[in-house]
Order: sequence, then structure tokens, then C-alpha cells
Amino acid sequence: MNASQASHTARSAIPWVTTVARLVLGGVLIAAGGLKIGNPADSVVAVRAYELLPEPLVTTVGYALPIVEVVVGVLLIVGLMTRVAAVVAALLMLAFVFGIAWAWANGLRIDCGCFGGGGQLGAGQEPTYLLDIVRDFGLVLLGAWVVRFPPGRFALDRPLGLAGAEHPLDDEENSDGQG
Amino acid sequence: MGKAERSKTAREKIREQQAAERAREQRKKVVTYVTAGAVAIAAIGAGMWYTMSRSQSEQAGADLAPVTIQADGSVIMAKDGVTKPVVDIYEDFQCPACKELERVSGQTFKNLAAEGLAKVVYHPITIFGQEPTKGNSVRAGAAARCVPDGKQWVAFHDLLFENQPSETVEGFKTDQLIEWGKEAGVTDPGFETCVTSQKHAQAQLDYSDKINKRENLEGTPTVKVDGQMIDNSVVFTPKDLRDTVTEAAK
Repeated sequence: MNASQASHTARSAIPWVTTVARLVLGGVLIAAGGLKIGNPADSVVAVRAYELLPEPLVTTVGYALPIVEVVVGVLLIVGLMTRVAAVVAALLMLAFVFGIAWAWANGLRIDCGCFGGGGQLGAGQEPTYLLDIVRDFGLVLLGAWVVRFPPGRFALDRPLGLAGAEHPLDDEENSDGQG
Repeated sequence: MGKAERSKTAREKIREQQAAERAREQRKKVVTYVTAGAVAIAAIGAGMWYTMSRSQSEQAGADLAPVTIQADGSVIMAKDGVTKPVVDIYEDFQCPACKELERVSGQTFKNLAAEGLAKVVYHPITIFGQEPTKGNSVRAGAAARCVPDGKQWVAFHDLLFENQPSETVEGFKTDQLIEWGKEAGVTDPGFETCVTSQKHAQAQLDYSDKINKRENLEGTPTVKVDGQMIDNSVVFTPKDLRDTVTEAAK
């Protein structure tokens, strides 16, 4: 029965992993959005620096991005609409991975502008594309985990009845008290 | 009614109640979800509206204030007799944030000068030290120095920012600069050779050097009102910029 016990322990750890993933992903989004939100002009310049979007979209995306990041980050932290928020967060990160890879492939020399700044490298600064891509891809994986195993512990979705009972894990969790 | 039948209806009733309960739960869930979603989207919408309304450029007002080109390459835009407050704009034709400044607040500078509320001074400088950005910036700056007339200079200045090249390629080529000069209304017969020969390239570099040392610039764009550096969050918010300048006029 040891194997089954071990698997039970592993399974009961899943919601905790989800919570940690939510906090990390949500925390990064809030930090990234919060650092940009007071300087929307910088955000527009950073988006433009990628030379990826047409000009009318550049301003809209530049203004919207910090706000979307903060809102999605807050949803993840409190665990409200967890699955939807995680889908959006993972897609955002995937888009960033793509954007940075694009900049790299096209020989641009920019700062990713991930945490504010206008996307310009300072004097003597080198681009850090690989590091940025690895970080953002790690965050994509965290997002995917949350999408697969929502909403984790300490999530508003549960008291609000949004947790979705379709998942077998939830049943098991509900019976934790008796087990 | 037999006993079996009675218990069957009781069972059915319970089942119906359970089904109704489930339906209620489901409805409640949908309502909660929709509400939470609506709040999240409204928050994003409100944030967008706030940001965009604060970054909204001013409408073009009256005609430009008189524009005078100085011997050192700086350009004064002010109504006759207006000597203060002085709004100094340090910008590089190749700098992306300067392009954004012109897009958002360029009209505010023009309006403030036209309304006699400020003396606006443009200082086109070159801050880049590496190619291709340095060459681009110097070519553009040197070409601007070939424009003999103030109004044409402002139009040329606007065109340069509108057509700012990528920082990764050689841009602001001399034939392009000549083309934009014509578009800006330059008719001076000497303009073309002045641009092609890059007659003022050294003057542009010397002036940039001098300004950089004198003003202790941290980068471009830098906007100073009566010598006081103004924070970027103000400079990129037309309404706050206007308030700061009108306040300084008092």
C-alpha cells in the first residue's frame, strides 16, 4: 500500500503546487505591469522597439499591456477565474517569448522592456534574449500547470463555487477530512 | 395508491429537488462567473480609458508662433515679446522616446508658444555614440541646420520624427532628407548641396557635445522649464505639461 500512499501524497501536493505557480506567475505579472503602468509612453516605445506590430496597434498594445498584466496578475493571486486567468497569462508569456525570439532573429538590439523602460539598451549594455526567453517560457509552463490543475489552495474560486467539480481531484480534496 | 407507487413518487420528488438544486447552483455559478469577468474587463477598460485620455494629444490651435533659427542650431519658437517661461526641449531625431514625445506632446509645445504662454527652444542634439544610430542622427541634425526658414524648420523637424528609421539600419539618407525638406516647403537652392555635403555635421557634433556638458543631460528627451528638469511622467501627459508651464508663467 506504500505506493498508493505515495501517490496519494503526490496528488494532495498538486493543489499546493498550483498555489505556488499562481503566486509566482501572478507576482511577476503584477511587478511587470506595475513598473510600466506609471509610464505608458515608455510602454508604447518598448512595444514599438520590437518592430513587430503596425503603428496603430503599437499604441493600443502599449497602453493596454501594463493594465492587462496587473489585472490578470491580481486574478491569479486571489484565485478568481483561475483557469481563464491562467490561459490569458500563459498566452501573454508565449507572445513575449515569440516577440523576444523575433527581435533576436531579426538582429534587433533591444532591452525586452519586460519590467518597464523604453526597450532601449543602455550604453555598453548587451541584449539578454536567451535569459528573457527562458524566464518567460518557464512562466508559460507555470501557466499551463494552473490551467491543468485549477484552482489550488487559497483560491476565491472555491468559496464562490467556481472551482468546477468536473475534476476528480476536487472530489478527493473534498473528502480529505474523512480520509 | 399502492405503497410501492407512493415511495416511487417520493423518490422522484427527491430526484426532482436535487435536479432543481443542481440547476440553481449552475445558474449561481454562471452569474458569479459573468460578474467576475465583467468586473475584470471593466477594470481593464477603465484603465485603458484613463491612460489614453491622459496621453491624448492636444488639437492644433492657432498658427505657429514665430520661429527663429539661432546661429548655434537651436531654434526658438515664441510670440513676439514672450521671454518666459523658457521651455527647453533636448531631443535627438533618432531617439524613439523623442519620437513618442513629439507624437504625444509635440502639439502642446506648439500651442503653448502660439498662445504666448511660453518661449519654446528646440535643441536637436546627437546622443548616440554607435553606428548606425550615430550616423543617422548626425545626418538628420546636419540637414535640419540647412533649413533657412523657421516655419519650414518646424515642418522638417516633424517629418523627421514621423519618418524615424529603425535603430538597426542606416536611415535618414541624404536623398530622403532632401525629399522631406521639399515636403516641408524648403525652396532654398543651396539646401540640396548643404544636405548632401553634410556641411554642418561637425557643427551638430560640437553643439551636442557642448549641450551635453552644459546641461548634464541624462538622456533624451529632456525637457526643462526655466532650467528645471521636468519629470517624464509630466512631459508625456499633455495636460500636466500645460499646467506645469502655465504655473511657471505666474
